[in-house]
Amino acid sequence: MSADGLVEVGPESEFEDGDHAIVEVGPAEVGVIKADGEFYALRNQCPHDGGPVCQGNVQRELVGEFTGTGERVDQYYSDNCIVSCPWHGWSFDLETGKHIGDDRIRVPTYDVVVEDGIVYVDGGD
Amino acid sequence: MIDAAEERVIDCDWHYQDSFTEVAEYMPEPWRTKYKDSFWEETGVTQALSSFFPTSTGDRQNYGKVLREHSNYPDEPEDPERVREGMDFLDIDVSLQISHLILATGGINADDERIQAFTRGYIEYMLEEVLDPDEGIYGLAPIPYGDIDASLEVLERVEDEETFVGACFVTAGASPPLGNRKYDPIYERCEQMDFPVVYHTGGSGLDEYVRAGYQEMIETHTLGFLESNMSQIVSVACQGVPEKYPDLDIVFMESGVTYIPGLVSRLDEEYLKRPEEAPLLDTRPSEYITDFYFGTQPLEISARNDLLELCFDMIGTDRLLYASDYPHWDFDSPSVINDLPMLDDDDRRAILSGNAEEVFGV
Ligand code: FES
Repeated sequence: MSADGLVEVGPESEFEDGDHAIVEVGPAEVGVIKADGEFYALRNQCPHDGGPVCQGNVQRELVGEFTGTGERVDQYYSDNCIVSCPWHGWSFDLETGKHIGDDRIRVPTYDVVVEDGIVYVDGGD
Repeated sequence: MIDAAEERVIDCDWHYQDSFTEVAEYMPEPWRTKYKDSFWEETGVTQALSSFFPTSTGDRQNYGKVLREHSNYPDEPEDPERVREGMDFLDIDVSLQISHLILATGGINADDERIQAFTRGYIEYMLEEVLDPDEGIYGLAPIPYGDIDASLEVLERVEDEETFVGACFVTAGASPPLGNRKYDPIYERCEQMDFPVVYHTGGSGLDEYVRAGYQEMIETHTLGFLESNMSQIVSVACQGVPEKYPDLDIVFMESGVTYIPGLVSRLDEEYLKRPEEAPLLDTRPSEYITDFYFGTQPLEISARNDLLELCFDMIGTDRLLYASDYPHWDFDSPSVINDLPMLDDDDRRAILSGNAEEVFGV
């Protein structure tokens, strides 16, 4: 880690949407994920049973809305992107790290900085 | 410790042993004549009953071991006076009557109006001859939920009758299960009327519980009643009924309490792995289910105290409603609640009457 707390991940141009890279940030393993043109970073350790959550599938979150008595629940993909742990499917909002079914469960998130075409994770000071 | 006999006690589950003999008088035609012509007087009500009520394993009277009067399905028409006698016997101030015959309707899948006709007759009979708020005798209106229009008519009929204080859904037999959107109009109307929905487990078809061929009542009574309630709890919660109708009071009756922590724990475990399959929920199903109310009977007082205590903690003593199930064979008297060592007196009072006052306004 550099003095300013930034950990280099790699050139921005090497990431397609849905790609991830794993880096060491201090003692922690962090996954950097690109989704919808944005970069996100989360601790690569699932709060369920320690699975490699950042290596899972990246999708938009499927949500449902009650539209009226007797109507089917309207289901659609929202703008939120989620990553799902490949072990048992626990899924987390990429932005907040919160479990999509219970926001009390949370994966720590990190800031991502892109400078001069290089992606960095901000590991804090 | 309080003395239950000195306290106000509201019994949320009393089984009025209605028979066709009385109710048929109040049924609409042609059902009144059809039933009155069914020879029950010659062959005995039990005979006519069994053509309506699917049989179930074994003898509820424990093959002669349970000796109380009027505790079985009646061979003779029920007498409204017996409700008063029973309430005195148990020291109960207020009872909510449910129809004992309607419990059997889970076994009827035909679209032939039997349930609707019976329900209409039952309501008129109860209003005319049995229910009496001055005596503390209130009713729950049976909902023929297989027919939405008929169900809405029932609610319309009882809306201005202060003696009916809730809607009763028999949990056995509902197909699709009771979280389905098909039933939304009933829930919407109940919410609007401030009319609690009471899901009551049912005994029909117990012999064929999941797999046919059980031999004894000990087997089917343990499993079947539980399964009927559990399947509806899962459906109602996962399909988001409490999200759709947040002011609807939901009550589950007659399966004790120890199954609830196990069921919600298992359901939460599933939910965290696939929450998008219950998209109306904002958080774990257990958070919704522990907002439901639960009748206590038959309370598992033989369970380890620490287990029972844990169950009460998880469900919340503000969610438990004393229920006797009288005069059925396995009734609980108020002392079953009163004597529980893990409760304080406020909890006891809440379960014996306070919670029910809030839910049913009695
Ligand atoms: S370890 Fe991640 S879902 Fe189980």
